[in-house]
Amino acid sequence: MISLVSILKRFPLTIFALVVLSLPFWFPYIGGYVGLATKMTIWALFALGFDLLLGFTGYLSFGHAIFFGMSAYTTGLMFKHFSAEIIPAMIIAVIVGTLASVAVGYLTMKRSGIYFSILTLAFGEMLHSSALSTFGWFTGGENGLTLPDLRPVLFGIRMDGLTMYFVTAFFLIVGYYIAMRISKSPFGLILRAIKSNSQRLEYTGIDVQKYKLGAFVLSAVYASVAGSLMVVYEPYVGTEYLHWSTSGELVIMSVMGGLGTLIGPIIGAWFMLYFENVLSVPLGEEWLLVLGLIFMAVVIFLPGGFVDGVKKLYNKLTKNSADVEGK
Amino acid sequence: MTKKSDISKTVSRRSILKAGALGTAAMSAPMFYAKNAWAESQIGNYPIEGDTVMLGFNVPQTGAYADEGADELRAYKLAVQHLNNGGGMLETMTPNKLTGAGILGKKVDFVVGDTQTKADAARTSARRMIERDKIIMLTGGSSSGIAIAQQYLASEMGIIFMAGLTHSNDTTGKDKRRYGFRHFFNAEMTGIALSPILADTYGKDRRAFHLTADYSWGHTQHDAMKRGTEAQGWTTVNNLMTPVGGPDFSQYLTAVLASDADVLVLNHYGKDMVNSLTQAVEFGMRELQKNGKTMEVVVPLFSRLMAQGAGSSAIQGVLGTTNWNWTLQDAGSKAFVEAFQAEYGFPPSMAAHTCYCQTLLYANACEVAGTFYPPEVIKALEGFEFDGMGNGPTLYRAEDHQCFKDILVVKGKSPTDKTGEFDLLEIVGTTPRDVVTYDASIFGGELGPYEPV
Repeated sequence: MISLVSILKRFPLTIFALVVLSLPFWFPYIGGYVGLATKMTIWALFALGFDLLLGFTGYLSFGHAIFFGMSAYTTGLMFKHFSAEIIPAMIIAVIVGTLASVAVGYLTMKRSGIYFSILTLAFGEMLHSSALSTFGWFTGGENGLTLPDLRPVLFGIRMDGLTMYFVTAFFLIVGYYIAMRISKSPFGLILRAIKSNSQRLEYTGIDVQKYKLGAFVLSAVYASVAGSLMVVYEPYVGTEYLHWSTSGELVIMSVMGGLGTLIGPIIGAWFMLYFENVLSVPLGEEWLLVLGLIFMAVVIFLPGGFVDGVKKLYNKLTKNSADVEGK
Repeated sequence: MTKKSDISKTVSRRSILKAGALGTAAMSAPMFYAKNAWAESQIGNYPIEGDTVMLGFNVPQTGAYADEGADELRAYKLAVQHLNNGGGMLETMTPNKLTGAGILGKKVDFVVGDTQTKADAARTSARRMIERDKIIMLTGGSSSGIAIAQQYLASEMGIIFMAGLTHSNDTTGKDKRRYGFRHFFNAEMTGIALSPILADTYGKDRRAFHLTADYSWGHTQHDAMKRGTEAQGWTTVNNLMTPVGGPDFSQYLTAVLASDADVLVLNHYGKDMVNSLTQAVEFGMRELQKNGKTMEVVVPLFSRLMAQGAGSSAIQGVLGTTNWNWTLQDAGSKAFVEAFQAEYGFPPSMAAHTCYCQTLLYANACEVAGTFYPPEVIKALEGFEFDGMGNGPTLYRAEDHQCFKDILVVKGKSPTDKTGEFDLLEIVGTTPRDVVTYDASIFGGELGPYEPV
């Protein structure tokens, strides 16, 4: 037990990579399938980037669907008008998502707390409704952007099944590595300092605004990569990708998993999608109610999310075993 | 990936079955069919392993159209029961190759998914059923955006999609797909069927104000009604788009009151229609006098479930169209209503009817084709002419996979006219199939190839 934890603490990235890479092989035994594993991995990346913003700086964005959705639409449009090759599509999509985040971040990051949340929400809603109405002629409007008979390829290799899964897994593992490095870097420390007391930080002569914007843009890059991968995985852009409910789901996943822990939001995302698509089947139409109860239970009893729960359980177990040994 | 080992395990039985099936097909089918049969390759979840055939029912169990979804699911379960054991429309439909012993000798089983009335969620649950549960046919969907999203996914994965409740022109118009089929009627047919009756009842000099649900279906419904009524001499005063699922329509209704319109057209469905109609009644619109005439409300797409939600005092005299009603007296409708009522204790909705028919039509097409191989099943459905399913003689048009049949124009019954809790709509007219048949090319779109790329 203890040795397992020490291994986990010493080689977190290796263990993480092993879990992610082996997922499609053991997932069918618990009711999963490759398609769901891919979607879970994409959402894990989305949630991971979001943790760099909400978990570290404490800024609750309700508009991260903007970057996920914009990048998804850009990818779809690139496929439609340029080529089915994923590299140019993904690059342009991430650039568009990032530029959007600089603009939105610059305008909203001046405010904090509830004002920031509402501003991001407003931006998201504006974009969502304009994608349906004003820009409907090239976004496909309410039906979503459909791409008939299009198959995304990487150097001519079709992106489906396990191939697509491993491409996605590659992005998640690299994303996790970068996030871990950021978490341990001075930059990560400043982000955490913004959460605990940004005013005091400002008095020490640090340009807080710049760091906040940095975190916002960084999380948007993760969101853009995830959004783009979503369209590579399934060549279709749903209008929900831009909808505030996507942002809301992201917040719920992160809170459920455990904010500021990097691995927490990933677990939260996995749990939510697994619940929604596998566990919901035997529960029938009551599944949303059960999910709501679980969410409430987590928020009330485990404010630190699943990760907090595991930590508490682990502490209790080790304490107990120490007691036994002592006696 | 596991298929190869499974095949080798059951090779002796399978090969005998296959040889038998191919032998019969080669003898009975014309030459080009036989050629295709030999070239059959793996598409979607074909070939099917084992003795059961899996169907996927993807319906809204949560969200704005959950009521329709629940009724659709009841109909699907009934259809499976009848396919396996006989009964229901199996006895009335013509031509019919179904025997009540499953499909092509295989027992029918099913899995259920929740679309949540959201396109992305619908695709995810459809994918679960395709990838994990190995369904051969996908069906369901209330709301056109969701049906279209699933139709694209099904076409990509080589799974036939039998659309449920979807009334937008796009489903078999600009977004039509080779693997998608629709039994339900559409907005264009509503416009053609309803407009002359509106002009006869209310006069040719009416001024209409539209409120329209802001998505694929609403847009095409408004467009079709506008063209249809304007051809009859009506004037369209204005149209306001309303968000789907909004509980309060008073701001839009105020605009209607302030205008000089004397007819209100509600291009709404489900709870939206229930809310907007109830609020219009509260605004006193049913008694209002405008331009010297009584103000009228029109609900182009009418259903018994909605009539029930709004109540008969609100819907009395309101005109609309419907795909089917349980009070119809033909043999097919009676057989279906009887079976449904025996099972669940109340009559089925039009959503239930279309879903039930779709399941039987797919099963029958497999029997006609003699195989589950999707391209052959598609060919068996294309141009299929049938009767005895509640709508009179019906054609599955090959060019756009849209069913053509007579369209019912209905009127809401008043509280004194109705004979029971479910007797809410009165059929006032039937527009013949030839009249509502339009040119398949007017909406554009491509069906795509028989074998997915």
